[in-house]
Amino acid sequence: MAKGANNKKKNAASLFFEAIGNGFKEIGVTFAEGDIKTKLSFLIFGLGPILRGQILIGVALLLCEVLFFYFMAGFGWQYLSKFSTLGTVATKKVGRKTVYGDNSFLILLFGVLCIFAIIAFIAIWYINVKENRKEELLLKAGKKLPSNKDVFMSLFDKNFHKTLLALPVTGIFVFTVLPIVFMILVAFTNYDKNHQSPSNLFTWVGLDNFKNLVSFSGAGIGPTFLQVLLWTLVWALFATFTNYFLGLAVAMLINKKGIKFKKLWRTILVLTIAVPQFVSLLYVMKMFANDGLINGYLIKWGIIKSYIPFWTDPMLARITIIVVNIWIGIPYMMLIATGLLMNIPEDLYESARIDGANPWQMFRSITLPYMLFVTGPFLLTQFTGNLNNFNVIYLLTQGKPQSVNLAEKAGNTDLLITWLYKMTVNDTNYRMAAVIGIMVFVVTAVISLVVYNMLPSVKDEEGFQ
Amino acid sequence: MKSYKTKRAIGNIIGYIILILISIIWLFPFVGLVLQSFRSYATEYGGMVDYLVPKQFSLDNYKFLFDTSQNNYLLWYKNTIVIAVFVSIFQTIIQLCVSYALSRMRFAGRTFLMRFWLILGMFPGFLTMICLYFLLKQFGLTQAGAIPGLILVTVASCGMGYYVCKGYFDTIPKALDEAAMIDGATRARIFFTMIIPMSKPIIIYTALVAFMAPWCDYVFASYVAFGHDTSYNVAVGMTRWVWTNDYQGYFTRFCAGGVLVAIPVTLLFMFLQKYYVEGVTGGAVKG
Amino acid sequence: MKKKLVSVLMTAAMGATLLAGCGSAQEAAQTAQDTAETVAETATEAAEVVEEAAEAAEEITDYGTGDIKIWVADNVVDFTNEQIKAFQDAHPEFSGYTFTVEAVGEGDAAGNMITDVEAGADIYAFAQDQIARLVTAGALEVVEDSNAEAVKAENDAGAVGAATVGGTLYAYPITSDNGYFLYYDKSVVTDPSTLEGIIADCEAAGKNFYFEINSGWYQTAFFFGAGAELTYDTDDSGNFTKCNSTYASDAGVVALKKIAEVASSKAFQNGSAISNATNVGAIVDGTWDAQAAKDLFGDNYACAKLPTFEGADGKTYQMSGFGGFKLLGVKPQEDDLKLAVCDALAAFLSSEEVQLARYNAVGWGPSNLNAQKSDAVQADEALSALADQLQYTIPQGQYPGDYWSLATSLGDSIISGEIKADASDDDFMKALTDFQTTCESYAK
Repeated sequence: MAKGANNKKKNAASLFFEAIGNGFKEIGVTFAEGDIKTKLSFLIFGLGPILRGQILIGVALLLCEVLFFYFMAGFGWQYLSKFSTLGTVATKKVGRKTVYGDNSFLILLFGVLCIFAIIAFIAIWYINVKENRKEELLLKAGKKLPSNKDVFMSLFDKNFHKTLLALPVTGIFVFTVLPIVFMILVAFTNYDKNHQSPSNLFTWVGLDNFKNLVSFSGAGIGPTFLQVLLWTLVWALFATFTNYFLGLAVAMLINKKGIKFKKLWRTILVLTIAVPQFVSLLYVMKMFANDGLINGYLIKWGIIKSYIPFWTDPMLARITIIVVNIWIGIPYMMLIATGLLMNIPEDLYESARIDGANPWQMFRSITLPYMLFVTGPFLLTQFTGNLNNFNVIYLLTQGKPQSVNLAEKAGNTDLLITWLYKMTVNDTNYRMAAVIGIMVFVVTAVISLVVYNMLPSVKDEEGFQ
Repeated sequence: MKSYKTKRAIGNIIGYIILILISIIWLFPFVGLVLQSFRSYATEYGGMVDYLVPKQFSLDNYKFLFDTSQNNYLLWYKNTIVIAVFVSIFQTIIQLCVSYALSRMRFAGRTFLMRFWLILGMFPGFLTMICLYFLLKQFGLTQAGAIPGLILVTVASCGMGYYVCKGYFDTIPKALDEAAMIDGATRARIFFTMIIPMSKPIIIYTALVAFMAPWCDYVFASYVAFGHDTSYNVAVGMTRWVWTNDYQGYFTRFCAGGVLVAIPVTLLFMFLQKYYVEGVTGGAVKG
Repeated sequence: MKKKLVSVLMTAAMGATLLAGCGSAQEAAQTAQDTAETVAETATEAAEVVEEAAEAAEEITDYGTGDIKIWVADNVVDFTNEQIKAFQDAHPEFSGYTFTVEAVGEGDAAGNMITDVEAGADIYAFAQDQIARLVTAGALEVVEDSNAEAVKAENDAGAVGAATVGGTLYAYPITSDNGYFLYYDKSVVTDPSTLEGIIADCEAAGKNFYFEINSGWYQTAFFFGAGAELTYDTDDSGNFTKCNSTYASDAGVVALKKIAEVASSKAFQNGSAISNATNVGAIVDGTWDAQAAKDLFGDNYACAKLPTFEGADGKTYQMSGFGGFKLLGVKPQEDDLKLAVCDALAAFLSSEEVQLARYNAVGWGPSNLNAQKSDAVQADEALSALADQLQYTIPQGQYPGDYWSLATSLGDSIISGEIKADASDDDFMKALTDFQTTCESYAK
């Protein structure tokens, strides 16, 4: 298995280098064989296409080049040039007035943007070269170039995907990719409450933050990280499977022959999906408080003598969270299961019944395998979703109770994600938050990859059909 | 035969008992929420109490919410609706576009794009909050401009959530497209005149999910709008009543506000439940 | 030295607008200059600024235009708006400025300011425990010299201390009532003078006794009461230089043991906010909840100084704690004129009249000495209970943000039973030694 994967990788790598090699070769050939229009296009984008009448493509390419230089000269360079130090001019006072120095944050952010711009610039240059080559070859072969109108119209037919994806891809690039790259880089800086822009500078510190994460002595947060990670995994496991099986059970109960008002039961359950969580969970949080409704009534009725510490005892808080999560999560699974259970052919059950199987046996040998098979990928996404289930934890406990045994203000019910949030918002400890964020990514990615390859529906696509 | 029948009857009775118990548990918090919202903060007490039924029913809390001289609740409500409507419209459009391109067309970089987005999705969203905040600030879309800012951020990255919609498109036979193309229809024409009219359930599902999410957005909304009361949404405005000590005795008002938020969203959801079930079931199977 | 400069320059200050123009041009040139000449520069810069300030006070009528944003807690927004109206009427020269007041609580203000100083308010109210953090993040401007003198002369010493980091005054005190004492139900608690008695009464009546032991602010009532100490020294830029702690001592053990004992009572509830409390017999809380407490207890409303408690060593200790303050801060500005307007407004909002008016409007106890002496303030029940308590408390100095969360962890560990009431003295000592070591690690 490992060897196979290795081979694959090697193949992929060699393919990649081959492609790059071919790319360079093509550029060389284009230049050597190209006419003066092509050669000039190496410097002035789109000149060749414009001269050959491909105005639309040519102008688009030229516009990209102009925009790039305009961006770099007018805006980008001042940031990119300081990228290696993240700024050196400190903020100072001139009399009572404040004169801000370099803003490390913006230098890092726009520096990253500039690097992306440069990569895009090179890519466009390559497209530009290829376009020239294509046109020349077409002309040499004596064929006509497509008209400008054809080029434009192809955006609604052959190249319709470019039209459809242009906006989403740009949006994702600016508001997802750029910020993620930025934050990954923050993990290698000392950007925290003592180095806060614009008043203070921050700078590169290499792997110090990662060393802090795995440091188990003194002020290191290694032990805390491990405990939070462990609880994150335990929580995700419980949250996913309690909801899955209980949801399935409820769905089967409602589906049962002879149960009436099916729609009513479902509607009642589904309320927890419909009501916004910040309303329902905050109310439930207050309900279970030490001095809340539940404890109040239990004491009043004499069932307990002193209050049950639902949120203040670490173990009980964890259990309560999982239980409340069932309240939130069962309906979702119930809806899904209801639809899927109908798909199981009735004659399977019929023949099992003739063979004398009891309901439990039927569940174990027909219903469960079918459900697990069909919903495998769903279970996986639920699991990774629960790893990052911010709302339930934060609205119920905010990660509390804290403990003297945990560093960096982590609480006993904190998931990695809520811990990360608290670091960002309460402590402005961005450097460690970035490190934790990378760890969340690693955990999610590893689990997804491993489990995905183990899923029966992936291994054996045709299996159940 | 008779024993089978009684057995079944007993089974049903047990089933009903369980269902009734579950219903009570499920409804209890909501009943509590509604009851508390009728406890007057002026004459009874607005903070927490350990009894369920108010001693006297009153509409004080609701009157407070509608009194614009005392708080901005109505404004927050309007903001949330604006965000929800715009996000719902644009997110549906974008996800339809992305899904169609990925489901129907084959082009260089398609699998790369899908893999890349899958990996991006594994980074926790909160990680990038500070960065998004300053990006939005460059465009003037924080504080006073927080509402368009929130819409922009949500819509800009929603392309990655194409799975359910693409799964639905995958079930529409490709033969239909091919037949239309032979008749000379362009891709765009097929998309607009054939696929979209066939996708009513999934459009409603996407729009519904997109519409419901902003009602709960506390984290990023509070981060972008801080210090500007008039651009809060209901979640940001109201959680302060529970979490900060500046608002003593606002608990019943929180409950009333919560009820008003829950009613339209719940009704809408119940009304469109059929499509929601279709969407999540399809999504679960496709993964 | 600065005073001297003022007098020298006052005589020289002529042709105000012309000079002002010159001044800023000169400054700009200087900014570009090498920092090697800092000493010389600082002198001239200081001179210029004093000069400008002098001009501002006397001659400048054109302050330009601008927006000034103010953050205060929601319940004083209306009050603040009224006061600003009065301020504008009194200062027609600031007519170019528009003032907006936003409701941002003292708790959130600091966090929001630090997230983005630029988008934060120009003037904001905050609780004093945030001051060092704000100074480090560059979110607080030093109080202007003449105002600083007035602030120091007119406010109580604790308030001035709270607004001072290192040797520099960074904020304007507005209240001196951030202390805590006991509210109780007369029909439940018969004798509020001993902690044991209060708890016994609450237990007997099936009522709750609220004390927020997982707060670094309330916890000190026990520690300081038993005689343990915890203070920090800071330098001028808000860095913590030294920690003076004697928590890991017999006194500390007495205190921690008592906390654990209190927490193990079935009447005990952790908390200090009346609106989140139910079935209350007694609660340790501050003046800001006075109205809520009156509403809650009705005719049985009563308040008193904190009780005494009996330590495990058999001695009786009076509970102590922090006396705290609310402060008003001005954000560093890139424009001298705007800064001058901010200074003036902050000074006004923290002045005697406004503090007194604020007391009358919302009941916040003033930090201004004259305002404290007024009849209305003297007659206030809650404030006099606080005054009784304040003689046993220490004015709250500067503490690093990490201290507060460490204290929360300590409190949570007690509530959750990680540290048990019946643990041995050695266990308590170990917990306290860890606590103290961590506290010390915050100072570098």
